Parts: sequence; C-alpha cells; structure tokens
Amino acid sequence: MHLTPYQIVAPAFSLFAILYAWNLVLRQKKTLWEAFFWTLFWGLVTVIALFPRMLTYLSAVTGIANQENAVLITFMGILFFIVFYIIIRLEELEQRHTKIVRLMALREAGLDTNNDMAGTSGTGDLQE
Amino acid sequence: MVVAIIPAYNEATRIGQVVRDARRFTACVVVVDDGSTDGTGDVARREGARVVRHAENSGAGAATMTGIEAARRLGATVVVTLDADGQHDPAEIPLLLKPIQDDTADMVFANRFGQRNSIPFIRRVFNAIGNVLTLFATGTWIQDSQSGFKVFGPKALGQVDLRMRGFEFCTEIVRECAQHKWRVAEIPTKVLYSEYTMAKGQSFAMGIKTALKILLRSFLR
Repeated sequence: MHLTPYQIVAPAFSLFAILYAWNLVLRQKKTLWEAFFWTLFWGLVTVIALFPRMLTYLSAVTGIANQENAVLITFMGILFFIVFYIIIRLEELEQRHTKIVRLMALREAGLDTNNDMAGTSGTGDLQE
Repeated sequence: MVVAIIPAYNEATRIGQVVRDARRFTACVVVVDDGSTDGTGDVARREGARVVRHAENSGAGAATMTGIEAARRLGATVVVTLDADGQHDPAEIPLLLKPIQDDTADMVFANRFGQRNSIPFIRRVFNAIGNVLTLFATGTWIQDSQSGFKVFGPKALGQVDLRMRGFEFCTEIVRECAQHKWRVAEIPTKVLYSEYTMAKGQSFAMGIKTALKILLRSFLR
C-alpha cells in the first residue's frame, strides 16, 4: 500500500492527539466521556486519511462532486475554523475579565489574600 | 462550618426573607451581589449577610464561584447554594446536609422532580433539555442538574473550580463531579414557583445561548 505524506502525517497527528487526550484523563483534567469523543473524532480523521474512498460515498450523499464545490466547502471550513478560533479567544478574554471582577469583589469585601492578582496578567493562566 | 451562598442580581424585594431564613440553618450567609442596581446588597447586609459585590453583572456562575471563594476564606467546610428569588425553602437545608454529615456524599443536588411539585410545563421542558445536554457533555445523569440548590461537602469545596460565567455553570458542576469522582446524592425538595420567579427565570433565547456554551466548552476542554 503506497502512502502519501498526508496519509502518514494525519494518522500520526491523530495518534498524538488521542494520546494527549488520554494523558489528560490520567491527570484528571479530562473525563473519560470527553476522551471517548476526542478519540472518535481523531479516529475518523485517520480513517478518512487512510481510506479516502470513503469520501466517494460522502460525495454521493452531499452532492459535492466537482472541484468548484470542493473549493467552496474548503473555504467554508476555513471560515468556520476562524470563527471558532475567535470564539475561543473571546471566551478566554471573558474568563479573564470575570476573574478580575471576582478578585476585586473579594478584595473590597476584605477577603483578599496578597497573591490574589498574581496570574491574571499572564497570557495562558486561564487556558485549559 | 456551614456557609450559605446566595448569588443575587436585582433581588431587593426577595433577598431579605431568603437571608433571614437561611441564617436559621447556617453559620454564615454570603450574598454575592452580582452588580445589582436596586440595592440588593444593602438589603442583604441589613439582614446580617456578608455581602461580596461584583462591580458589574457577571452571571450566576461567576457569582457562585465568588461566593465559594469567599466561603473558603471564611473557613467554611461545607457550602450550601441557594437561589435569591425564594424558590427554595431554606428549611430543607438540614435535609441536604445529611448525606454530607453521614459521609455518604461529597456533593448533594436538590431534585425538584423527586416529589410532587407544581412546576410549569415550560420549566420542565427546559430542565429536561438541560439534563440531556449535561449528560451529553459530562456522561453523567443528574435528575435535576440545573437546580441552584446544592451542597458542597469538604472534598468538593476544596476542589471545585468553576470557569463558566452564566447558567451553564450548573453543567460544569456535574462535570466537576465526574472529573474528581465526587460521590453524589440527590434529595427530593420542594420548589415554589410564582409569577415573580417565572419572570426572573431564563428565557428561551438565554436557554439556547446556555446550551451552545455548554457544547462549546465541552469541546474546548
């Protein structure tokens, strides 16, 4: 079986993603349920990479039969990813903002500790 | 020490009675005034609650986590959360505390559907959707996952770390249960719905927004 570079890179990356997810489970940062879905998603990516003929069936179902449609769908996918990324960034900013509001509230109530505000100025402290 | 946490937003007409009732069953009551503009915090303070005030409205999840953090700093070992609109009966706090005192649970959920309660149909639908979404996001089935009446035992109180701002925090708590393997108990309780509580509840649009946030955050984790 001749493998293209994509057919090597995609399964390798999927394997890495799946191992990472289960590693998070072991460290109690992800539930079994979430790791299961994560494995399902990346498993699907691997299967499609290794058996691209599966897409012929999808093509018949979705009607994406020619190149123009494929390009359109690809760009829609890219736009979807960009929107998704922006939503993630907004979520992070919202969380950081909330954390500051909460710490200010505790401080005003006389319940603060000295190192409360530490960690709110970094860039990754609220990311999971 | 048992501390009651009451997140409140513009509940000046109701908060006084809730604080008075809650004080009968807990050592301390913390009201988190979530940026109210109607003097909710002042009323709560007059009734003897410890008030922590958000500079701006941040959502029920943020207010609950602020309350939990305040309770920790006050030396709480057990925390009870209650809604500020009076739909929960604080007289049932001892009932919810029992599984914690018996050391059979780390987290106790009130279950409004466990006994005969007059619950509007639309509320039942919203709760059912919330339960299914919670199951989908966490893999755990809780009969009343969206109830604001809960008890955190010592283990749960020490480990809980809520990041969601809005009502989706209810699902996040269930997720924390699964993640930290807390023992869960569900206790049937009364609930008092009135025109006031219905008007203050989540709208359909808010429900959709909450559902989307639950799914988004589940995917991001």
